[in-house]
Amino acid sequence: MSMKSISTSRRQFLQGSGIALSLPWLETFADAEKVPEKTPRRFLSVYHPDGVGLPLKNDPAWKDWSWFPRGGERDFQLTKVLDVLEPLRSEITIYSGLSHPAVRQVHGHSNADQYLTGAATGGHGAYKNSISLDQVYANHIGEKTRHASLVMSTNGGVGGPRGAQTQSFNKEGRPIPAMNRPKQIFDMLFVTSGNDAAARLARSKSSLDLLIEHTRSLGRKLSAKDQQTLQQYMDAVRDTEVKLAKAQRWIDTPVPVVDQSNLKLDADPKEARLYFQTMYELIYLAFLSDSTRSATFQLGRENGEGPHDLLSKAVGLGGAHGLTHAVKRPKGWENLGTYNRYQAMEFGKFVQKLKDTKEPNGDGNMLDNTFAMHGSASSSFHLSRNYPIISAGGKNMGFDNGRYLKFGTGNEDNQAGAGIDTDAGWRGKIEAEELPLANLFVTVLQRLGVETDTFAGYSGTLERV
Amino acid sequence: MIFTRLTFVLLLSISIPVVAQDSLSSLSLEQARELGRENSRFLREDNTNVQDPKKPPKANLTDYKKTLYPLLQKSCLACHGPDRSEGRLRVDQLDPNLLTGEHVGQWKEVYNALGNSEMPPADEPEFALADKDRGLLVEWVGAELEKAYHVRKNSQEYSSFRRMTRYEYNYALQDLLGFPFDMVERLPPDTVSDDGFQNRSELLQMSAMQFQTSRQIGLKALQRTTVHGEQPTPVVYRFPLEAEMNRLTSAANAKVFNQNDENYRQTRNNNHFLNKQTGKAINYNGGNFKPDSNAVVGAAPADSPVRLSLGAGKELKFNLDRFLPDDGIMRVRIRAARSNMNPELFANLRLTFSAHTSNNANFSQVISHHDLAVAAPAESPEYIDFFISLGDIQRNPFRKLETTFPRRDEFLHIRNVSNGNRGPEPLTVLIDHIEISAPFYAQWPPQSHRDIFFESANSQNEDVYASEVLKVFMARAWRRTVTDQEVGQFVSLFKEYRPDFGSFEQAMQEVLATVIASPEFLYLTTANGSPQDAKDKTISDLELATRLSFFLWSSIPDVELLGVAYKGELRKPDVLEAQIERMLEDERANRFAEQFVGQWLGLEGLDNVTHVKDGTLRDSMHEEPIAFFREVLAGNDSVMDFIHSDYVVVNEKLAGHYRIGNVYGPHFRRVPVAASVNRGGVLTQAAMLSMNSDGTDSHPLKRGIWMLERILQDPPPPPPPNVPEVDLADPRILQMTLKERIEDHRNKPACKSCHAKIDPWGIAFENYDAVGSFRTQLKNGPVDASAELFNKQQLDGIMGLKRYLLTDRQDQFARAIAEKMTTYAIGRSLSFSDNADIDKIVVQFRKQGDGLRDLIHVIAQSDIFNAK
Repeated sequence: MSMKSISTSRRQFLQGSGIALSLPWLETFADAEKVPEKTPRRFLSVYHPDGVGLPLKNDPAWKDWSWFPRGGERDFQLTKVLDVLEPLRSEITIYSGLSHPAVRQVHGHSNADQYLTGAATGGHGAYKNSISLDQVYANHIGEKTRHASLVMSTNGGVGGPRGAQTQSFNKEGRPIPAMNRPKQIFDMLFVTSGNDAAARLARSKSSLDLLIEHTRSLGRKLSAKDQQTLQQYMDAVRDTEVKLAKAQRWIDTPVPVVDQSNLKLDADPKEARLYFQTMYELIYLAFLSDSTRSATFQLGRENGEGPHDLLSKAVGLGGAHGLTHAVKRPKGWENLGTYNRYQAMEFGKFVQKLKDTKEPNGDGNMLDNTFAMHGSASSSFHLSRNYPIISAGGKNMGFDNGRYLKFGTGNEDNQAGAGIDTDAGWRGKIEAEELPLANLFVTVLQRLGVETDTFAGYSGTLERV
Repeated sequence: MIFTRLTFVLLLSISIPVVAQDSLSSLSLEQARELGRENSRFLREDNTNVQDPKKPPKANLTDYKKTLYPLLQKSCLACHGPDRSEGRLRVDQLDPNLLTGEHVGQWKEVYNALGNSEMPPADEPEFALADKDRGLLVEWVGAELEKAYHVRKNSQEYSSFRRMTRYEYNYALQDLLGFPFDMVERLPPDTVSDDGFQNRSELLQMSAMQFQTSRQIGLKALQRTTVHGEQPTPVVYRFPLEAEMNRLTSAANAKVFNQNDENYRQTRNNNHFLNKQTGKAINYNGGNFKPDSNAVVGAAPADSPVRLSLGAGKELKFNLDRFLPDDGIMRVRIRAARSNMNPELFANLRLTFSAHTSNNANFSQVISHHDLAVAAPAESPEYIDFFISLGDIQRNPFRKLETTFPRRDEFLHIRNVSNGNRGPEPLTVLIDHIEISAPFYAQWPPQSHRDIFFESANSQNEDVYASEVLKVFMARAWRRTVTDQEVGQFVSLFKEYRPDFGSFEQAMQEVLATVIASPEFLYLTTANGSPQDAKDKTISDLELATRLSFFLWSSIPDVELLGVAYKGELRKPDVLEAQIERMLEDERANRFAEQFVGQWLGLEGLDNVTHVKDGTLRDSMHEEPIAFFREVLAGNDSVMDFIHSDYVVVNEKLAGHYRIGNVYGPHFRRVPVAASVNRGGVLTQAAMLSMNSDGTDSHPLKRGIWMLERILQDPPPPPPPNVPEVDLADPRILQMTLKERIEDHRNKPACKSCHAKIDPWGIAFENYDAVGSFRTQLKNGPVDASAELFNKQQLDGIMGLKRYLLTDRQDQFARAIAEKMTTYAIGRSLSFSDNADIDKIVVQFRKQGDGLRDLIHVIAQSDIFNAK
């Protein structure tokens, strides 16, 4: 567009005139730099489909089984759903009033696709997603570790459009297949890889060597100015060589040896507790051995079906998805709350474990250098608003925990859309004003050390976090 | 008649300085165009003295000393002078020459502080600046900054040595490998220059990511176009239409009807089977099919009286289950005919692919690149073939599940895009055969494979054969002859790779991928001769061939063009002319129309338009300027047709939008229009008007900027930062019309100098609303499209604007389009030293009659196009 080209030219002009532009991220970035450089910063997102229980205030279940806490920022009280996190109170933050604006009126069954991307994935027709939060970080830090990222889900694979079984999407918005078999994940992380990769690397090396030699001889025929242009190509090839050399180094580096005593590698989602604990243990071991610094874990798919639905067996209940439909039945809210409580408990155990482990390569404990979030892109029944999100850790990156942070206006007691159990709810008018979740993502990225001021087209960070 | 008009024109041209506005405004646009041509500086006999409109600007120091410095002294020096230098700024030490001086950065800050009325501080009345004086200062600094910007930019020398753009790389791979599918989705977009072009040498960067991605795309493209081993057995579906009809009609409660029924007219647009012998019919919208393992690809259909009638705007949906292969080309062959030959009605077929894996998890996507027309009469149906790359479309990720949920099926939809459901005899599409096969190969090995792995007596001796294959492939990809030593390097690579692979072809794919990862393929080089011709400033014949093909085809030259260049004949005038004509007639020249017009006019702006809800209309808007350009190009018509033409090039959709009758069908064609239609040329095309709107109404500022940048090549200066927004909370402003608001804004001293140059151009378009429809009324009164240009020229609406452009600005437009096309042709920015060459081009093509095709020939022959 013409207007856009004008501003580009002005920026180029300003830079040419030696006027530095101060970008908002610089400040935060400087804060984050206080963490000693060699200490890894880690990111984890755990996603659970189907949302949480939000009964109306006049419902007797409201007192105990409404997911969001009560009270103020520091003096909040947890209901029975999250009371298992009370011992970790000073290590966690709970958020309300956040969602992705592009999909606030899309059916909750399509929500797993956009939780970490913020893309306008819509409800029907052509489908396009965009890069997920964990992959932005993986692209930034991935070369420091053997695996750029660890992508897991209970169901595995990519799922279908609007029925994702992975939380991670690459730069082109394509889904990254999630791994779901503990054995397979363990082998990838901690068992030596085959020779095929080595042969491919060797071929690339020869190809690049030839290109460099050939480019040199081309350069000799060019003017000095054109040689500079060609130098860019040469640099690109050299950078690629460096990347290959790194990859080669990982092939040559022995895989870490880890304590396997807490792993049940043949665990199946049907044995929900074992499976949960094993998957969390794998994330813990991957972080501990610095095999990756970015991980996602999706607890199955929206809309029931598949292993995820069996996880609720851990608390003696039937299909997990069915719980959200049955909230108006006797003990309905309690059952859903009990299942959500179990999810929070497992997350809490993982957080506690990070807290109890000294940072192998830096100050404090592992939790202080890890930002772990746990959430869903639905709150009440199929409702794509007011995402229920908990985060833990990240103290060394500047996260100030022990708080309940309410954002937006018009929904102070989380009653907008509460108590619904029909599809009229998610289609309904947007009553409350919420802030883009992308703003939190920008904050997270900056504190992880990524130089950015936008995510999914939304600019700026989230205040108060 | 000719005589009288000429006399009239001559008389007028002599008396122009004293002619009153009214007599000019009575000119028809045709007369204006003739008069304007008479006025051309470029066409005077002594055009050697053509005043260069772009001679290097000079700093205006006279005004500074006389008027402006005294103002600064009075209002600024107390705090920014020898006594105090607040903010480390000393106004008395600023170098007033912004073009060469070192204080351009400080001047920018002065400009902002004054423009935003931040300085002098409001609480120091003794230093206050009068509005008039502030205006003078802002105007002077703004003008000097603008000049500085151009001088500093244009003092650079640019080279045409550059890498291919993303779209050029795509076309080059397609042409080199004979694989007509898009492959570059993963490459990042290229940077667009200030004036809209994507192929500027200085902006086309290379990074490790760009390089690696290109390399992967190249290898993948080779793996798709060359093959090894036996031909894979295709999956074939042949829908047994007659059996399907019989199954339906023989069911209990079957709702059978007959084409001779009285109410057949009412229901015939519903999809139905029809037995043309018996007239028996039954509704049908698609079914479930599995591959037919006995079917032979391409076998003629059995003779059958059963037709599947597909209504206008309707679609058939076929469940193909889960058997389509992951990769390879799927051919969808449909034999179809029209139910009647009414020329006002059209029917096109379009394919969509979808899956519905579970509740709310679904997608559907159009997979055919273009709609294909059904043209055959009912008695002699014809094959319509779609080719789809299965690896490039969204597939059902669950298709390989062992279990049945989530659902594994994939669906093919055949849609009839048509205007046929009207009149006494509606048009439907009659289908009598549908065959789907994948992977489809017209022959084995495919032609794309044979072009690379050609037959050779040495094909059994792998090393010798590799060298033969490489020599041909490298010469084609690198657009030059290659030495044995160069080939030898790649043969060595082959020898190293060969043990890793099961077949010769697989190893060669990787070697060839390295050939096309080389800068000799990725870059447009301008020096591969011997060192002694470094002094020669002219590019070689082979380089000329490459430059021509990237100009007109956005891709590498074909074998014929390379051959002519190789023989040293390309610079013979008749040969060059013939080659250009051949290239312009080739289908690949469509890329030139699409890319040049798209970039020149900034049509990607339409992608950001959300207020045109009708996707077909938006696509038609996007296509119109390109189709118009093709029309002007085909007839070598005058480029002044872009300013105004007595015809439009439209399809049915746009004709409806413009209220032009009797245009049927989706294809674009030339339609003469009367002046009362208020169309003709590109300025009044819906694309320009819509993308230069704000979503609800016209946007004179955007339209004005667009005119200055794209048509007149006189871009306005960049706006100061923090320009005050028009304050819509102010009730006074809220009550104003848009035009009044703009005028109000323009009267602010900080804004005046720029806006007076921009706004009038846009206000003249006020008769066109946000989607480009013509209007004479607004909610609160008649449209006021009268504007006064900076030079006091009155423009009375679009007619006035066009008339003024034709009488007074023909040279400026001719130069603008020549400059834009030249810069596109050579892929670099221009510097001052290029102006003489551009002038020569303008003089020559204006003399030849302003023909668009002539312009291309003149550019191709010009010094600048042939220089390194």
